Amino acid sequence: MPDSRILNVSRDLVLSRRASQIQRLTSLLGRSFLFMVTSVSVLAVLFIIIFITRDAFPFFQIRGFREFFTSTHWFPSGNPPEFGALSIITGSALVAMGAAIVAVPLGVLAAVCLSDVLPFSLRQVAKPIIEILAAIPSVAYGFFALVIFAPALQEHGGIILTVCLWMLALPAALLAATVISDLVVAGIPTSRRPAMRGICWLTLVGGALFALVQGSGHLLDLTISSGTNALNVSIILGIMALPTVVSVSEDALQAVGRDLREGSYALGATRAETLVKTIIPAAASGIAAASILGIMRAVGETMVVWMASGNAAQIPTPWYNLLQPVRTLTATIAGDMGEADHVLGSARYHVLFAMALSLLLFSFGSNFVSEHIGRKFRSRQAGG
Amino acid sequence: MNRKYTRFTAAILGAGLTAVTALAVGDKIVIDGSTTVGPIAKAFAEYYMGKNPSVNISVSESGSGNGAKSLVNNACDVATMSRPMKAKEKKAAEGAGILPVEHIVAMDGIAVIVHPSNPVADLTVDKLRAIYTGTVKNWKELGGPDADIVVISRDTNSGTYETFETLVMKKEKMAGKTEYVGSNGASRQRVTTTPAAIAYVGLAFTEGVKAITVDQVVANHETVLNGKYVLARPLYMYTNGRVSDTTHVGRFLNLYRTAEGRRMIEDVGYVPLKN
Amino acid sequence: MELSTRKTLDRAFSGTGMFSICLMTASLLVILLPVFAKGIKAFVFRETIENRKMILEQFHRGDSAALDIEWESARTARQPVYDAMQAFRIELDTLEGSRRRELRSSFREVESALQSLLGPEPGSTLSPLLRNRYGQTRWDRAQVKLQQVLFREAWDYSRPGEAGTRQWIPRKQTFAGTRLEPMFDHLETKLDSMLQPRWTFYWRFLSDDSRDSHLFGGIWPEVLGTLYLTIGAMLFAVPMGVIAAIYLTEYARPGRVVQILRTCISTLAGVPSIVFGLFGLAFFINTLQVSSSKSVLAGSMTLALLILPTIIRASEEAILAVPRTYKEAALSLGSGTWNMILTVLLPAALPGILTGIVISMGRAAGETAPIIFTAAVSVGKPLTLLQTLTQPTPALPWNIYNLATEHAAVEEIRHVQFGMVLTLVVMVLILNATAIAIRARIARRMKG
Repeated sequence: MPDSRILNVSRDLVLSRRASQIQRLTSLLGRSFLFMVTSVSVLAVLFIIIFITRDAFPFFQIRGFREFFTSTHWFPSGNPPEFGALSIITGSALVAMGAAIVAVPLGVLAAVCLSDVLPFSLRQVAKPIIEILAAIPSVAYGFFALVIFAPALQEHGGIILTVCLWMLALPAALLAATVISDLVVAGIPTSRRPAMRGICWLTLVGGALFALVQGSGHLLDLTISSGTNALNVSIILGIMALPTVVSVSEDALQAVGRDLREGSYALGATRAETLVKTIIPAAASGIAAASILGIMRAVGETMVVWMASGNAAQIPTPWYNLLQPVRTLTATIAGDMGEADHVLGSARYHVLFAMALSLLLFSFGSNFVSEHIGRKFRSRQAGG
Repeated sequence: MNRKYTRFTAAILGAGLTAVTALAVGDKIVIDGSTTVGPIAKAFAEYYMGKNPSVNISVSESGSGNGAKSLVNNACDVATMSRPMKAKEKKAAEGAGILPVEHIVAMDGIAVIVHPSNPVADLTVDKLRAIYTGTVKNWKELGGPDADIVVISRDTNSGTYETFETLVMKKEKMAGKTEYVGSNGASRQRVTTTPAAIAYVGLAFTEGVKAITVDQVVANHETVLNGKYVLARPLYMYTNGRVSDTTHVGRFLNLYRTAEGRRMIEDVGYVPLKN
Repeated sequence: MELSTRKTLDRAFSGTGMFSICLMTASLLVILLPVFAKGIKAFVFRETIENRKMILEQFHRGDSAALDIEWESARTARQPVYDAMQAFRIELDTLEGSRRRELRSSFREVESALQSLLGPEPGSTLSPLLRNRYGQTRWDRAQVKLQQVLFREAWDYSRPGEAGTRQWIPRKQTFAGTRLEPMFDHLETKLDSMLQPRWTFYWRFLSDDSRDSHLFGGIWPEVLGTLYLTIGAMLFAVPMGVIAAIYLTEYARPGRVVQILRTCISTLAGVPSIVFGLFGLAFFINTLQVSSSKSVLAGSMTLALLILPTIIRASEEAILAVPRTYKEAALSLGSGTWNMILTVLLPAALPGILTGIVISMGRAAGETAPIIFTAAVSVGKPLTLLQTLTQPTPALPWNIYNLATEHAAVEEIRHVQFGMVLTLVVMVLILNATAIAIRARIARRMKG
């Protein structure tokens, strides 16, 4: 800052030596004060790591690593106790995966829509909706999941799932039929094309409808023995992670810039082609970062899983069976912390910190990855 | 001038804050511990605060283990527990210079509950254990409808869990599919909404569900008091050292001996001790 | 591919985008509508005379003369019920063995259901528990209780190997021929005049204390506790966050130190909230001992750490958005750096900083996991300002969890739970609406 230096010089000319010394000292003091306050967040991170690790370490000292990561037997208060956290870690992973399945496609599509499709006025309406979704407290989501969604899922689970299936699959099937029939007729002489396409389309749609009806028949027969299960939690966590995914990927899409879009349009591409073939690949790393942040939110969430996941320490059979209750790391910490400090050296207390440490490491890891991706993305943007 | 004024105010504020913190800020009783004893503690608290408006009583229901922990850390005045303090906990208390004194305030039975539509009316302790270990998987095996049993247990940090574990499980482990919930209320709620569920709760929590007999004995006040019902246990409050009747904590604690206290214990669904 | 297909695909693509936004809006509505529809019942409902009596006796509000008149007519309407019961008690002793035993247990159920419907019988000793001193205070709950008096729920298990079916057996049938029989019809037809329901707008739900663990009264301790925690968190986080933002934007030179600072800030933003709770317990309470037990102070500090990154980022963005020319003009006029920051930079960045503050206030108000171990209890009085330094408090998020899962009477107090959720959601929505309004103003100013 040349101007401020000039200012300082001019002051030096006016002020006495002593005064200038004092001024320099205060400025230094002020600056170090600012630095100290800023480093509170560094200290906080450090202390969090230190305190969590300090209490997690004894667990591994007492019980070793093997049981924690490989056994599914979670009996912290048994005699003898067992601390296999594998099923709990899988539980966390499972609901996070479920949440990602809900949040990532929806979120990316919504982000694309917000950044490229919607007119400005509609965007102004859609943005607050996303903000409100992000603002609703997690306990309110948990309350909804437990008091309204779980009983509904348990009593009318088949119907709810069927409606969802039709809502998602029917448009997709119609679209796919259109594209496929179009591709099929590509080699046929032009005169017979419309008829062929019609036949092809009808067959495909008919087949899809048949499959859908069959599928929904199965779904309607489904009995869900408990509404507090992995599916419930996955859907709610997915909704909670949506705002993060949408806003971060929208930023990434915006950052791609006008020139790429205009270039693509100039080559005759439609908007969809521009987006799918040019813009989304260009923003891919940003979108990946967004997904990671969304998953992080889902893994770190406590109240929803504590209230509505069923808290059963098991790996569902088969493992992708979301209709069974699961237990997650966060819910275990919140629920089990009751047995704590006093019995110093008890593995039961320290195992919760070991879980917190795993969570912490996961969030550091994904944070690092998403930052790294984000940085690469930005530097590429800057480089052109 | 302006700056001086600011500094002055800051100094005054700082001094004021420290002075005020040093002063006692009204009487308070902090209660922490079991959700099972929670209703008693809350009823007592309400009653006592009604009689002594200057006292603020706060009740946390975070589990028996947590209650013991708080007492050891001197973070609460009364620890409510649905199991006795363990030797380890007592030792930790001694180490911290705390002398835990035990008061049995009431008796409670652990009722085994199922959905009212479930025809099963009685289970032996062995059958109960078989259900919780997962060897019996379907109600069909017990003469009920053909439905997979949804097994619900209290969280492992609760005294109710530990009592059930001692009295029923006898060193065997619960199956992995067991769902854990955080409180008696939640157990009952899961059972009311799930026809195939089984759970165990404190006696006070059987409204709207069907409490089944264990070894042909109904869980009620008499069978709990005379020991015929096997799944019964005392409920405790712990204090640091003996408390005298002149302090608020002492008078609060001794409510369980008074006529009103006994009536309240009964009204919230527990069994007051005989005298 | 044909052009028409490409167009279809293009439209379909836009369609799926719109669809996902619609789905998002729909899920927002699905979540918020029941909360609003049921939450509002905590405020607007048909209150019975029992409620008016409870409010007069417990909260000393209401017109006692008018209540006396109403009470008189309610009592007249109730008198036949009590007369019938008295007559039946005498009759019961004259009945023969087996029938007497059967009716006695059924009569006990009637007695207790009636007590919870109409309150204690005149002349009986008062229970120390408030819940046994009043009948149903809400007309909708009174209807449920009426069913329990009129019908007995029985389950038919006659088909072996199948789930039982529910049957409602009218008690009138059970007591047919006794002097209790006419009571049931009387109760069914005259319940209106016995309870005198009337629509009411109970806005004091927000400002009344709870009585008998939320069976009566309002949620003031929770609301106040949430306010304390939120404001406390702000007191710690806002100065620290804004100062950090000033340092990062105005003083720090790009380099390794700043890189570390930034990494730490984004790491802090990613730490799961439950870990903050553990840390708050281990650090503020057990190590620093800011208070001997859980307290608002410890909870505020924990929450402050949680929202610190949000505030730093928002403030940083706001400061960076201030045009360079402002700063340069101030500096060239001979202002010192500090002076420039205080008089030019911060005022210009204020709306942006405020937006960040308001949004993180919403976050702090709604967080549950960090306060479980550091500040929240399920029962407690509203605190005075000084008590916040040493005492824990009930708070909306924790008590929503507590009442929904741990309370002994979960079903009876659904309206309180929904009322709490509504209050919390509305608080957060108001804060967010404020943020949106501030931002709109900034946008307008930037344009103009």
